Amino acid sequence: MTESELDLDVDLEEDFEPEDLEGPSPVATLGDPVLVVDDLNIVYRVFGGKAKQVAGGANVKEGTAPRRSFLRRLVSSTSQHVGAVSEVHAVRGISFVARHGESIGIVGINGSGKSTLLRAITGLIPPHSGGVYVAGDPALLGVNAALMPQLTGEKNIWIGGLALGLTPKQVEERFDDVVEFADIGDFVYLPMKTYSSGMSARLRFAISSAATPDILMIDEALATGDAAFKARSKARIDEVRKNAGTIFLVSHSTSTIEAMCTRVLWVHQGQLVMDGPTGEVLEHYRTFVRAHRQARSSARAGGVGPRARSKQRSKKSD
Amino acid sequence: MTTDTARGAPSGDRGTPGAKDDLLRPPEPIVPDTTSQERLALATQFDLRQMGVRPPLKDYVRDVVSRWPFIRTLGTSTAYAKNQNNYLGQLWAVLNPTLNAIVYILIFGILLGTTRGLENAIAFIVIGTFLFRFVEQSVHAGSRSIAQKTNLIRSMHFPRAVLPTAQVVSLLATLVPALLVMCVIVLLSGLLPAYPMIPIRWSWLLLPAIVALLWIFNTGVAFMVARAVAITPDLDNVIGFIMRLVMYGSGVIFPVTHYVDRLPDAVQGIVGAILEYQPIGVFLYVARSILTQEPEIPQDPWMWLWAALWAIVAFVVGFIVFWRGEERYGRD
Repeated sequence: MTESELDLDVDLEEDFEPEDLEGPSPVATLGDPVLVVDDLNIVYRVFGGKAKQVAGGANVKEGTAPRRSFLRRLVSSTSQHVGAVSEVHAVRGISFVARHGESIGIVGINGSGKSTLLRAITGLIPPHSGGVYVAGDPALLGVNAALMPQLTGEKNIWIGGLALGLTPKQVEERFDDVVEFADIGDFVYLPMKTYSSGMSARLRFAISSAATPDILMIDEALATGDAAFKARSKARIDEVRKNAGTIFLVSHSTSTIEAMCTRVLWVHQGQLVMDGPTGEVLEHYRTFVRAHRQARSSARAGGVGPRARSKQRSKKSD
Repeated sequence: MTTDTARGAPSGDRGTPGAKDDLLRPPEPIVPDTTSQERLALATQFDLRQMGVRPPLKDYVRDVVSRWPFIRTLGTSTAYAKNQNNYLGQLWAVLNPTLNAIVYILIFGILLGTTRGLENAIAFIVIGTFLFRFVEQSVHAGSRSIAQKTNLIRSMHFPRAVLPTAQVVSLLATLVPALLVMCVIVLLSGLLPAYPMIPIRWSWLLLPAIVALLWIFNTGVAFMVARAVAITPDLDNVIGFIMRLVMYGSGVIFPVTHYVDRLPDAVQGIVGAILEYQPIGVFLYVARSILTQEPEIPQDPWMWLWAALWAIVAFVVGFIVFWRGEERYGRD
């Protein structure tokens, strides 16, 4: 995959699926604040890459990224990390207040810090400075919930359910639901590494949606599976959303965001560049992405700063 | 600010950019319409809880305890997963430590004869290697418990102390069948003509007690290394060497205290005391004293006291050390 594809892998209207978007646009009834984000900064340590090399030329290629060689590990252990560690400032000073009843979409090109922001406001990545304040328990719904591939689906449902904070009794009760929703049948008794990628994504989504949180965070969850599964997961999200009160949605598909969100945050290079009603923000965002595509296709010049590229490298472990 | 070089040029009206160049730039970062104080006041007013910060120790302990079903499931599943990729499967949980013990018996017990002066070298080495393996693997598992589960940490909320605890539980799960084999080997070794008979005595019932103390001790140590390696991954490289030093210094495969009198007189006293009362030495002493009838290793209540002391100190200190780093796990 070339870099231009990586940077601008954004669905505009191409993947528009009308059946996803039936019904009127959501209307927010604003309540009390449930989430306050105050000057949030997230800094990753990245081992094995010098900041200078990452930031230096605009055309640093992936292949030249320094590997974490034995020598380098030795060097960094003696010189207390000088030289082999760089820091990536993924989220830089974002502040906003979310209220009960809002559905908030987060948009931005790849590597802009959307997923990091979402994980940070869920409390999964500790902030470097600033703070996140919430009412109740937020939970991340997604297909990224890493489970144990060498174990059976059955074991993974147990581990995932318990990790979400369910009691063993609750896991027992919801077990059949999860299996049925994931539609994996008897495969549930086989190790997850034998699953097709669609099956394992479905199972992970099913597990992560087993609990109903107060604040729901969705990370690209709708991007998985076939049309039938998409419809079912949309129904499940709607159901959870009714109980959840507040949702956050990260998606590359602007049409999904349009259908589900009342407010959109546009994140670029770790900063909040626009925050407002869905229609208004998406209009500007689409213009921006289209202009970028044209610029890319006419001249393959680097429009995205070196920060975004180093971010992609660090995100590979996700 | 770290590596940023690309900054958007100032654009007055972000809504209607005129030139084509302006289209390529996102709007300037917005300035929030509330100040930090106002937002914090809002957070306090509506009684919001701060995320990503370390909870008070009391709440943390309660949270970890309430996750016991999770710890148990994760631990036993990990133990099972470890040995399922080969034909003999779970049998390896027993075969591995046995083969390990045989190697040391052949080299140190028979070839080098370092166990001279002991009545039953096989029992001595088998008990040493089986139990030390538990300690060594706990340290290694603890050191990897955070780094290997970064994805889990970044996907779900739970007190991170669950991870090292579950790792040690998983090792305990594989240790239990191995201990049975260990007891059988010790008994059988008494049937060899060169060694005296080893009868099963009432004191054998104390084995679960010392294993439980060792489990508590290992969990504490796993907490400590888990935090150290999570913050400074380089330490992972050093741990192997430290554990080897500990192995040879604890009398796992030969009575190390026999060699103390070869040292200069000035250091003999202090080195002897360290070797005798350091935790691994204490645990092995107690285990050997209850299983064998070695004249050199009589049962000693004081050693039990030392073992209990080490277990509690390691666990309490380890837990607090780990808890103090709670808000940092998962950022790297």
